[in-house]
Amino acid sequence: MSTVRLSRVSKRYGTTVAVHELDLDVADGELVTLLGPSGCGKTTTLRMLAGLIEPSAGRVWFDDEDVTYVPPRTRNIGFVFQTPALFPHLSVARNIAFGLSVKGAKRGAIDERVAEMLALVGLAGYGERMPSQLSGGQQQRVALARVLATDPRVLLFDEPLSALDRNLRDTLKYSILELQRRTGKTAIYVTHDQSEAFAISDRIVVMNAGRAEQIGTQTEIYLRPETPFVAEFIGATNALAGDVVAIDGTGEEARARVDVGGLQIRSRFRPGLSVGDRVAVYLRPENLVVVQEGQDRRFENVVEGEIERVIFEGPTAQLRVGVAGRELRADVSGGERLTFIEGRGRVRLGFNEVTLIPTPTPVPVPA
Amino acid sequence: MTAANVAAAPGAPASAERARRITRRRMTGLIGHAYVWLVLIVFVLPFLTLLVYSVSGPGGTYAVQNFQYVLGSFGDNLWWSFRVSGLTLLINVLVALPAAYAIVRYPFPGKRLLFSALTLPLYVPGAVIGISLVLVYNFSYHLTTSVWGLVLAMAVGTFPLMLTPIVVALRDLPVSFEEAAACLGATRWQTYWRVVFPLIGPGVSAGLMLTFIIVFNEYLVTLFVHPPSITTGPLRVFNLVRTAGLAPTTAALAVTMQLISFAAVLVFFRVFGTRYLKGTYLI
Repeated sequence: MSTVRLSRVSKRYGTTVAVHELDLDVADGELVTLLGPSGCGKTTTLRMLAGLIEPSAGRVWFDDEDVTYVPPRTRNIGFVFQTPALFPHLSVARNIAFGLSVKGAKRGAIDERVAEMLALVGLAGYGERMPSQLSGGQQQRVALARVLATDPRVLLFDEPLSALDRNLRDTLKYSILELQRRTGKTAIYVTHDQSEAFAISDRIVVMNAGRAEQIGTQTEIYLRPETPFVAEFIGATNALAGDVVAIDGTGEEARARVDVGGLQIRSRFRPGLSVGDRVAVYLRPENLVVVQEGQDRRFENVVEGEIERVIFEGPTAQLRVGVAGRELRADVSGGERLTFIEGRGRVRLGFNEVTLIPTPTPVPVPA
Repeated sequence: MTAANVAAAPGAPASAERARRITRRRMTGLIGHAYVWLVLIVFVLPFLTLLVYSVSGPGGTYAVQNFQYVLGSFGDNLWWSFRVSGLTLLINVLVALPAAYAIVRYPFPGKRLLFSALTLPLYVPGAVIGISLVLVYNFSYHLTTSVWGLVLAMAVGTFPLMLTPIVVALRDLPVSFEEAAACLGATRWQTYWRVVFPLIGPGVSAGLMLTFIIVFNEYLVTLFVHPPSITTGPLRVFNLVRTAGLAPTTAALAVTMQLISFAAVLVFFRVFGTRYLKGTYLI
């Protein structure tokens, strides 16, 4: 068992910065996800954890051991690749045995361990098959068994499900989580898929342009994004730009009033804001509620607009509402969504949850 | 009633039409077959003629004595061909395996230039290689008298045939296999022999086959650099034809060499062929 620590780790390729001074502490037995768009440096970070590439600066620690320049071979890690990377010329059993056999383990001990691992991933009896005779999901489970066989200190996953179809992804992500829990291994999991990250993580590191934008639990990241990138990357949101025009009250009750191009929006005060600050204003579509007559008082903010478009998505319907020259997306669900299928006309949208993030420069508002 | 039935209903005129169509299709088929056979004959005829001539005896009879003569009198020449081929294969494979790995897996300055230089012998005429090697070997008297001079000449000439298939096989092999092996604790050496080498096996075997066939049948460069004491099979064929005309026994030697080459190709396709035809090295 191990803790993992990255301390100011950077990776530069010439003048391009792939990872910039990343700090991360992973507790023993924790599953931490690196989540971000392609090119954000998440895979580079994972490969530095594996020792497949060396950092340009900074240190990598497993427990109290500095492994920054330790080669992958002696790092004792389990790396699961995007493709299963099973050795195609070796049977399933010999693939799983590979890690033990290169370390010179005894034949009997290897056979025993292989059988144990096959049972663990639910593939008992598949030992003599060749990798090409297995489905994609089975191959990835063998890959998992292969890394677990060596009893690694840390499990590293590089988008292990991205090559599989959707249904398989959904079941296999819980298998991975369950195996990680059962073996109690510390795990770092790279993905660009939010639902995957939200389903299995203890904590999520949202990465962008080589930096960790925010590190936190699912609720922290979704409900209290700290940067414009996190607010816009995670889930859907209405991004607006405004200026703080007033701060009313003090302490817990303090409210900020923000002017968004003539629209006044009130929000919970965010410490550190002052009048005149430029802020990004984020409204989650699910927090915009169609207000019926006489219900105005339930909402701190009520805006009125024209329905421009309705996108029916099954469980929800997206209303695109033109409000003061900009389009806001409101998601309605339940029976209410059906009343808008042919929807045209004016609606009033009420909302209480507003995220304010100070921005030094104006945020571009999507058209 | 289906549309086909309706069309067929008027009877006689329709069946005549169908018969005409079938005849035309059969004609096209015949022409196609004839073309294929013609091409085959053009390719195979010279070899068949040689085969027939090689078993011809005096006075228009046929005999297999000619082939006994091959093993007796020409045995030494065949043995030299095998030895030179074997040594060339050994040198080529020992140099090409690490060279290909370096070329594909490691960045180093002048890589393209090196690869081009190594494949140069493919585009240089044999006579040019022969003359240049004679000039070079004259600086080292030893090389002109030992089998190694000949083997080195063969190795230089056929090295690209060995190197290129291995380079291609390595390029097609995803790095993740090697990375997976490293993460599982394998040393570089273990990774190479347990993972990389088996997976590029078809590439290596293709190189071996090509090299063997070229070296085993090579005569032009051999003519330039062979030591007086060594005469390979093809060189013997050439010498005999030049001095004694075309004897059936010489034809028998040529046929034997041809059959050995065929056998090499057959063995290759039996062992590795299917993997090639599937277009993958990954079984």
